[in-house]
Amino acid sequence: MFYKPGPYNWSIRNVPQFAADMYGTGVGHGIAYEALVTGQADKLEGPIYDSIVKVLKNPPRLPIDEGAILPTFKRRYGELEKVFDWAHTLHFQTIGVLAHRGWTDAQKEAEIERIWQFYSEQPYAITGLPLNMEVLDGYSYSGAFRTKYPKVNGLFWGYHWLQTANYDMLYRTPVETHGPQYQVVGERYRETELFNTEREFMPMTGELSPRFAKRFPEIANSFDNLHMLHDNVNDILATNELTEVQKKQQIRIAIWRVLATTHQGETAGEGEANSLHDHRYPFGMPGMGWMKGATESEMYMSGMGWMNMEECGHCSIRLPSGDEWGATVSANGWTMMVRCMLCARDMASETIGKAIIRAATEDPKQTLVLISDELGNWTSNLPEIVFLEVKADHPECNDWSKVFTSRRAFDAYIAENPDYKDAQPIALSEWQTRNEGTPETYRRINRPSPYQRNGEVGP
Amino acid sequence: MKNLIIATSLLALGTLGAVSPALVHEADCPYCKLKLVQNTNAKDNEVVVRFGNKKIEYRCIYCVFADQKKLTGDLIVYAPSEAAGKPVLVRRTGGNWTAPEGTVFLNAFRRHQECAGLSRTFSSKSAFDRYVAANNVANAKALTLKEMLAEVAKAN
Repeated sequence: MFYKPGPYNWSIRNVPQFAADMYGTGVGHGIAYEALVTGQADKLEGPIYDSIVKVLKNPPRLPIDEGAILPTFKRRYGELEKVFDWAHTLHFQTIGVLAHRGWTDAQKEAEIERIWQFYSEQPYAITGLPLNMEVLDGYSYSGAFRTKYPKVNGLFWGYHWLQTANYDMLYRTPVETHGPQYQVVGERYRETELFNTEREFMPMTGELSPRFAKRFPEIANSFDNLHMLHDNVNDILATNELTEVQKKQQIRIAIWRVLATTHQGETAGEGEANSLHDHRYPFGMPGMGWMKGATESEMYMSGMGWMNMEECGHCSIRLPSGDEWGATVSANGWTMMVRCMLCARDMASETIGKAIIRAATEDPKQTLVLISDELGNWTSNLPEIVFLEVKADHPECNDWSKVFTSRRAFDAYIAENPDYKDAQPIALSEWQTRNEGTPETYRRINRPSPYQRNGEVGP
Repeated sequence: MKNLIIATSLLALGTLGAVSPALVHEADCPYCKLKLVQNTNAKDNEVVVRFGNKKIEYRCIYCVFADQKKLTGDLIVYAPSEAAGKPVLVRRTGGNWTAPEGTVFLNAFRRHQECAGLSRTFSSKSAFDRYVAANNVANAKALTLKEMLAEVAKAN
């Protein structure tokens, strides 16, 4: 079991800080696991937490062999380490392809399909089917780790935030934007997400990289299933209910639950509801398993609230598909899909902190990447962009609010769409100062959090 | 497959639903995480903070002051007053807060569920007194900007 050979391997190093932070996640996992199996659990929230944070603030410049960090854990749970290692290889190879310079998006997508096949053929592969997250997080030991060790659990979910948030940063975006984007993503990771102890559930790939998860649902699901396996293992090791022998048995069962071989012949979208073989997924997001409290169209995401993944996060109208897919907004630790540039801008301007917009232009080969500072001043990877914005009803907002790579492209669109013949191209400097407020079509889903305890809300 | 069939059926319904009558925007306060209280014809409730190209809405003036470290640069706070459509403009310029002469603050909430009604800004002490009397606010004290900031700092 080793990397599929390719010129892209370790292209993650094109963004050195991203690479270092990713290598740091392996060290963080390893130190915590070794502590849990060597009688140091009582130090986990104190000196061991401090030592992990020290590493995360000074992450290694090269990947570390986890076996050197967790020798006891590896001897005791060798098969689990195989499953983890192989899934981490999938992470790094997928990232390597996306960060690779010199390939087209089509070449990258084809290679990622091949990498998934290569990964799936091995016996330690995790299933790419969506699994019911409520079922997997519903065992008697579930929640033990996050309850006993909230700070270290925050670190684990922080690692998993980075390992899921990075894919939309890389997917179909120009390689030269990866570094500037990571300045925003990495800052969020290091300053906030690692230390977030208020998250109600682990980060999901479809939540943080919705475009990637829609395009590669099997990979997104396998990452989520991997991260749930991490949570299961943490909970088993943390619980007082089980003996050492029982813990070993339960970890083997937890591995079995997520392996591809366990679900062989099963199909996404099917399966008995609320069982281990429940492979339903929410509408519009095949790269995500069934979440606690979900209905077929609505689900709850920690930090984002209830949402419908088929709808624009700003105007609540159904998202477009195909080449004119709209845009995504990443801010405040979340990523939302929106229909048009107005929705993207106004959503970002109503959110504290830096933001990233990734948007379709008239040219499917050119994705716009806009990055804003804390004041909402945007910089663009495409220097000649102009905007169309002729405010009308939101069900057609992706027709009247658009971005073009050049004035010539804008003129061509106006020539084809005489309804906008009086529209003037808007420069980025003017566009960023606009704000149309909340769309009349916005629909808030008013339901309490399914994770809410005793009706507690607010600080 | 069943899932996909249902999905296709509901996609059509979803399209119809997309153009259903408009619903009022309700977001969460960035600080207390509770729902914003919408403005009414008679009373403003939403506290709007503008800085650069950002426009952030809070549930009350306390939440703004408590969250101010997250907000970059100079701020203009449109704080609802006793009169609908006539907010008091509270500013932070170069790190220093100012408010129009005569401005007083009410800060009498115990739980954030009450903050929108009991942490408010008034253009004058007489307006404060009328609001306190009309709403039977117990132990209300009219705070200056300096006193209000000190109370928030003490609580955080």
